[in-house]
Amino acid sequence: MTLADGVQIVSFVVLAVMMIGAALGVVLLNNIVYSAFLLALVFISISGMYILLNASFVAAAQVLIYVGAVNVLILFGIMLVNKRQAFVPVRNAWISKATTAAVCVGLFALLSTMVLATPWSVSTAIPIGDTALVEIGKHFFSDYLLPFELASVLLLMALIGAVVLARRDYLPDELLAQEEMRKTALTLPERPRELISGSRK
Amino acid sequence: MDFANLAAQLNAGTILPEGIVLITLIIVLVGDLIVGRSSSRWTPYVTIAGLLAAIVALYFQWNAMEPVAFLGAFNSDALSIVFRGIIALSAAVTTLITVRYVEQSGTPLAEFLVILLTATLGGMFLSGADELVMVFVSLETLSISSYLLTGYMKRDPRSNEAALKYLLIGAASSAIFLYGVSLLYGLSGGETRLSTIAANIVSSAGEPSLGAVIALVFVIAGIAFKIAAVPFHQWTPDVYEGSPTPVVAFLSVGSKAAGFALAIRLLVNAFPMISEQWHFVLTALAILSMVLGNVVALAQTSMKRMLAYSSIAQAGFVMIGLVIGTEAGYASMVFYLLVYLFMNLGGFACVILFSLRTGTDEISEYSGLYQKDPLLTLCLSICLLSLGGIPPLAGFFGKIYLFWAGWQAGAYGLVLVGLLTSVVSIYYYIRVVKMMVVKEPEEMSEAVKNYPEIRWNLPGMRPLQVGLVICLVATSLAGILSNPLFTLANSSVARTPMLQSSLVAAKRVVTAPHPANLAQQPVDVPQL
Repeated sequence: MTLADGVQIVSFVVLAVMMIGAALGVVLLNNIVYSAFLLALVFISISGMYILLNASFVAAAQVLIYVGAVNVLILFGIMLVNKRQAFVPVRNAWISKATTAAVCVGLFALLSTMVLATPWSVSTAIPIGDTALVEIGKHFFSDYLLPFELASVLLLMALIGAVVLARRDYLPDELLAQEEMRKTALTLPERPRELISGSRK
Repeated sequence: MDFANLAAQLNAGTILPEGIVLITLIIVLVGDLIVGRSSSRWTPYVTIAGLLAAIVALYFQWNAMEPVAFLGAFNSDALSIVFRGIIALSAAVTTLITVRYVEQSGTPLAEFLVILLTATLGGMFLSGADELVMVFVSLETLSISSYLLTGYMKRDPRSNEAALKYLLIGAASSAIFLYGVSLLYGLSGGETRLSTIAANIVSSAGEPSLGAVIALVFVIAGIAFKIAAVPFHQWTPDVYEGSPTPVVAFLSVGSKAAGFALAIRLLVNAFPMISEQWHFVLTALAILSMVLGNVVALAQTSMKRMLAYSSIAQAGFVMIGLVIGTEAGYASMVFYLLVYLFMNLGGFACVILFSLRTGTDEISEYSGLYQKDPLLTLCLSICLLSLGGIPPLAGFFGKIYLFWAGWQAGAYGLVLVGLLTSVVSIYYYIRVVKMMVVKEPEEMSEAVKNYPEIRWNLPGMRPLQVGLVICLVATSLAGILSNPLFTLANSSVARTPMLQSSLVAAKRVVTAPHPANLAQQPVDVPQL
């Protein structure tokens, strides 16, 4: 084993322990702010894994998008909601916790069996290393052109949708003048049903 | 690769219909931005014109020589053309029945149309997507715009609840689907084109690997969520009840058709080595959907919830065609979806009209409607009877074709379950018709007693009337004059190379189990 191999193994172990520990913390801690910060730690460790796999662009994108955008968004969400609510302890809560744990362990066992038992067809291409950026750009403008362009439509629509959901509603005066308009503004025309519990399946 | 060479290889003409939809979208968006709220007078018509132009463009692609475009990302074969046409047509009819509904709720119309057009675009791309990245991006375009449409009536807690439920369950199912797709990518050694995945998957001694089976299960979970098949249907009744009704109409036809297109392409192309397994899983899903959808629909009191369960059941019927996997099976699926488009959208148009006039969608409130509004009663009766499969109407011929194809292919159990459950379904459809038609004047419900005067000249009422009449005419005539639709469905399957090669492979599998007979034949022949 050369020195480089040793360094790789040590950093893999450190990253893996960090990731699994942080991920367990996300799930098990009660304080949601701690969970959010630990989630950022999980994302950082994943980007470390990408660096170990020689994929520096993906690692940078991981930090930018997940830590920089998604996680900050989650923290903002928590901050803006800012609801202090004492959780009433549920009786026999351990049953559902135990069931969840059993399902998760079972799923993990199934997936790890699958990983070990499946004959993966390993690519023989040489890792491209630091010129990956150029190669990704070429793919975006040749065989992945259509999904790349469609993603721009998706983003445009997400932007419009976010504006529609977030903006303050206003109704023009001529609409507000009508009496039935004021009652049904921005709601479904159907009245809510009286017997909600009775017929719900 | 220089630019001119690349441009020739892209074969970008195949996405002309999608391009037209996209340009329509931008016209509506920018026009609304410039003109302001009064743009709602012309935006729906621009939308419909754009969608119809897209359908015309699809028609001219029917004979295209080279269907594969964008270096394999998009496949515009005959099957995808039919499915894209179904999605565009359903969006056009949805636009017709939307105008008054959105107008009356005071929400801006242009944004609604823009999001609806994006959903259409996503669905159209999904029907032709031939590559995993493309499949996922177009699936997300369709899903995210559906979530936005669901939550469009944002002051209504029911709409909010529906949007949140749909978003959470949809995001979970997208994640599962993506996991399955990533397994496929790994199993095939980094291949994303559907047609080459199967060839690259290493199989050990003919046994399907565990990885492929798990990928299959995860992918089916994602697709079954889109087509609302039991047991992935939990979201359907609540989302259908809380969403604006035109959105429900689009979700139950356009979005479902896109899901079926994805199911055919992905399962037939990428999983031929475990086709027994996926046929088994889909058989189970089809039986569960037909039984549960039809039985639970019996107990519903709200029209929208009843139609939700009925659409679950209809998805089960369509899955029969997918499961049997013969040429007639695929063709009957396409035919049924074409017919289902008109009868289901017609049904929803009637529900919209009734709830706009009376403000309710309870089934009991429909009693005695015949006295006040004969046209609405006629339309709703025809559409519901057609959904139930009563003889001279279109739905009957669709079901007969599906069941006939299933019987020919030897799927007797599936067809029997289909027949039994469609008898059950006739009960709950007829119950509504009976309530509207037969009640005496004194048994009229409160809502019908206070029925407003019928005025078709209110803004947005005329398109609704046109949509209603189109659906009515199509539903009542498509059964008797069904020959063009039959020809369309059959030739779309016959002209699709992907399905033809899978049919040939299936025949080889059927004849393969008798190598002993083949070996004996040369010995037997001289004895004769």
